This record gives sequence, structure tokens and C-alpha cells, in this order.
Amino acid sequence: MESDQGPEEKVPLFKKWSYWYWLVAGFLLLCIGVFYFLTKHFS
Amino acid sequence: MSRPDWIVLLLTLLGMIAYGLYKGRTSRDLDGYFLSNRTVPWYMVLLGIMGTQASAVTFLSAPGQAYTDGMRFVQYYFGLPLAMIVVCISFVPVFRRLKVYTAYEYLEERFDLKTRVLTSFLFLLQRGLSTGISIAAPSIILSSLLGWNILWTNIFMGGLLIIYTVGGGAKAVAYTQQAQMIIIFSGMAVAGFMVVHRLPPGVGLREVLHIGGKAGKLNIITTGFKPGGGFDWGDKYNLLSGIIGGFFLQLSYFGTDQSQVGRYLTARSLSESRLGLLLNGLVKVPMQFLILLLGVLVFAFYQYNREPVFFNQLQLEKLAHSKYKDSLGVLTAQYDALEGERIGQKVAADRLLYLEKEKAGYKATVRRWLNDKDVGGDSNDTNYIFLRFVTDYLPIGLVGLLIAVIVLAAWGSIAATLNSLASCTIVDFHRRMSRRALPAEKEYRLSRWYTLLWGIFCVAMAQLAYNLGNSLIEAVNVLGSMFYGVILGIFLVAFYRKKTGGRAVFISAVIVEAGVITLNVLGKRGIVPLSFLWFNVIGAVGVLLLSEMLQVFMKRAPVKGSVD
Repeated sequence: MESDQGPEEKVPLFKKWSYWYWLVAGFLLLCIGVFYFLTKHFS
Repeated sequence: MSRPDWIVLLLTLLGMIAYGLYKGRTSRDLDGYFLSNRTVPWYMVLLGIMGTQASAVTFLSAPGQAYTDGMRFVQYYFGLPLAMIVVCISFVPVFRRLKVYTAYEYLEERFDLKTRVLTSFLFLLQRGLSTGISIAAPSIILSSLLGWNILWTNIFMGGLLIIYTVGGGAKAVAYTQQAQMIIIFSGMAVAGFMVVHRLPPGVGLREVLHIGGKAGKLNIITTGFKPGGGFDWGDKYNLLSGIIGGFFLQLSYFGTDQSQVGRYLTARSLSESRLGLLLNGLVKVPMQFLILLLGVLVFAFYQYNREPVFFNQLQLEKLAHSKYKDSLGVLTAQYDALEGERIGQKVAADRLLYLEKEKAGYKATVRRWLNDKDVGGDSNDTNYIFLRFVTDYLPIGLVGLLIAVIVLAAWGSIAATLNSLASCTIVDFHRRMSRRALPAEKEYRLSRWYTLLWGIFCVAMAQLAYNLGNSLIEAVNVLGSMFYGVILGIFLVAFYRKKTGGRAVFISAVIVEAGVITLNVLGKRGIVPLSFLWFNVIGAVGVLLLSEMLQVFMKRAPVKGSVD
């Protein structure tokens, strides 16, 4: 098994990967919020 | 199925095999065959991991699930975006840095050979069996609805893809999954459009949502708490089980299941692996929502059209040849009259309510007859709802396309699995146990043989599953959920508990696995009612805690291969 200790690669769109993580988590929260609204509105 | 439908179906499938063989040319070594020489761009990684996760049953079962139980099934995927984040932070960098072929190689580096072999073996066992079911489940549905021979349907569903998977390895899998997902999305979008198009004038999406809402189909978010208070641990799909149980399940699937690990390891770089996974975290939940919405659309459609008393025609034919033959004739005539009144003219609200209750009664009677031991039928027709709608109402040509969508969904998932089963067999067992290093060309040829053998094994398993019936299908599904948590626990210890050694984690894994199996047995007997999603949490957390405790009592062996 080789070890590839290359330099840190460039993050697409944002400065850090953590911004991507917040985007994914935030989008999940948004989806849950929208779904909750749909559930209540159409029940 | 009409001749044009057959032409569309066969052209699509033959085109896919040819495309896979054409695109699958790669270097004749393990790097080329299993990792596509690490040249795959992020969008193909995204489509690859989506295509691997979405099997034929996803597209057959999910609309039916929404039709019968509502859209709450979407909560099952709420843990997935969070799992993608953890996989990107902890799993992918380590796998890429060590340039592994399989996830389990890392376990020998971190712990020892026995832990690697145990985990890889559990994967082969569970995946080999469950892939047989992945072939059998849609084959049974297609053969029932279209009257196809089950053996040929199994070969159609699980055998033809072997041609390009053996020939082109991971590269063929990646390129065909890309094309498959495009066809699948297009087919499902056209199906959705056609349902709306066939609704009466003046009934649009807004009205459909109102109909679905009034019928309880838009129960997208449920808390899982009982009306009288207290949490229902046996409830499969709710916000809490979806986020917590779903998180552990998806983390185990994407972080430790070689069929997924093998997809994102083919990426050109660490960034492209991460980007594919994170975009999957963004699109998966809305995608599942839309597939479930299709089920609500079909439900609304049947409010204006005659709904079959039972969607699986084969089961009705079974009843027609049983002791219920005469009763079925009477019931069908009464049901048809009722449906005629319900959809034929404007009916007063209280009369409509009465008709709906009567209709539910007729359907319950059919299910009761099918459950009779003398009949030996299958009273669950959820998986037949969407495809029955397709074959009954969609125009010629489109039926062939939708059947192709189902078959391609199966191919994408199964091809990736065969590739991963072969990679584990050669890398974790054959090559690891060989006394001498094998030439690259020989390893390549052996890998192709293993892919072929696993393909034959899975088709044989599918045939066996059909002969043994539903009990085996359920047993294998439970088997998978029982192993995932423990495998994840082993990896979590590897990543986050640097001082825990191989012996402690191995013993913990065996003990916790026995505990999870016991819980499942107690659950089946109704002593501990627990939904299968919680097994993943118990398995993973159990291994983490127990290995930690055992390590305290054991003489601390030097920990190998730290990846700090």
C-alpha cells in the first residue's frame, strides 16, 4: 500500500471545505422546514 | 408489451452494453480495472454513487410507498447529507492518502489482518446475498406484470450487465452509470408529466397536493411520538429515526461499503471525490421527495379513474383458481359498480365517504383471501402500483422506456456491486494470501474471472430467492442492517480512537454483533420492538464503547499505521 502525501487540493467555489459542509447541512435544514410547511399546510 | 415497446427496451439495453464495452477500455492492471486509473471527474462520481444506491426497487417501490403509506419515507434519507460530511472529513482523505483499492485494506494497516479479513468477509457475505435479492425483487414484479419467465427475467436483470462489467471494470461501470442516470431521470420526469397530463381539466399540481393532503399522503414530517405520549421505537420512518438511525446507516454504507467506496476512489483527486459526495448530499433528499411525489400524483390520478381492486394481477389470477373463485367474481362485480358510481358522476360528500369505506372493505377482503394458507398468495401490492399504472395508461413506446428505466436502475447498482465484490476477493483474499507477488496482467485476468463468478452467483441467488419466497427477502434485508452498524463501529474506532488496538476491536465486534442478532430475535418475538434503523446505531456505538473498555483491561499493544 503506497502513501500519497500530496499537497492540499483546491476547494471548488468556496475558500474552505467547511463552507461546503455548512451548505449541505443548511440545505438539509431548509428541506426539513419546507417539508414541515407542506405537511402542515396540506393536512 | 407491444412491439414498439420491445424495440425501445431492447435498443436501450443493447446500446448500454455497447457503450459500456466501448468506454470500458483501460490499462490491464488492478489500478485500471478497479479504480479506472483514478481519472473520473466529479460529476461522474456523483452519478456513480447515486446510481449505485438507487436500485430498481427504489423506482418501483417508492411511488407505491407514497401511494399507500404517504411521503414520510423521505425521512429515511435525512441522515444522508450529514453522513456525506463525515465521510468527506474522515474517510475519503485516509483512503486516498493510503491509495487503497478496498476500504478493508486500511483496517490491516490500522489494526491487523484478522480484522481486515473479518470485515471484508462480512461485506462479501452480506453484499453477495443482498445483490441476489436486488435482482430478484424487480424480476418478480416484472415477470408478474408482463408474464415473463422468471429465470429469463433474472438473467435479463442481472446477467446482461455482466458483459460490460467483466469487460470494462470500474470505467465501464462509471460511464454506463452516467448514461443510465440520464435516461432514468428523463424517464421518471416524462412519467410525472404524463400523470399530470392525464388528470381531468382544471386539476393541476396544487389540487393534487390538496387531494394527497386530505388523504394523509403528505405526511412528509412525522415526529414518531405516540398520541398518548412517549416515543415509538418500532416506528420505521420519522424525523428522529431518519436523522440519527439514517445517519449511522448512510455513514456505514458510504464510508465502509466497498460498492460505494470503489466509486469515489475512482475520482481524479481528493477534491473531486469530496465534491461528488457533497453534491449527493445536496440532491438526494429532493430527488427522493420527487420520486415519492410521483406516487401521490398516481394516487390523485386514481381518484378520477378506476382503481384496480388489487394491483398485482397475478395474485388475482391465483385467487380465481382457488376456493374463492366464485366469491371473487361477485366481489369484482360489486367493486366495479362502486367504482363506476364513484368516478362516473358528481357524488355528494357523505355518499363519497360511504363509497370509499366500502371500497376499502373490498380491498381488505381480497388481501384476507390472499393471506389464506390454502391460497398462499402475496397480499402486499405496494411494489406493483407504479408499474401497473405505466402498463395500463402510458402510451406505446413510453412503456418500453419505463421498463428500460427499471432495468437500467438495477444494472447500475448491480454492476457497481459486482466490481466491488471482485475487488475485495482479489485484493483482500487472493492477493493478500498469495505467497508470491502476482504479475499485473494475471491479477487483471483473475479480476475479470471473479467479476464473472460473482455475477453468476448473484443471478443464482436471485433464482433461489424466488423459489424460497418472501421470507428469504426479509431475512437478507435484516441481515444487512445487522452487520452495517458493527462494521461502521470498527472504522470509527480506527479513525477516532487511536489508542485502541486490533484485539480489543475484534472481540468487541464479535460480542456486539452477537448482541445485535439477539436484539433482532427478541424484536421478532415482540419482546423488544425496535425498528431496524436503530441496529446501526447500537452496532456502531456498541463497538466504540466496548472496545474502549476492553482496551483499558488489555495490555496496550503498539497501534499500527496511525494516519494522523
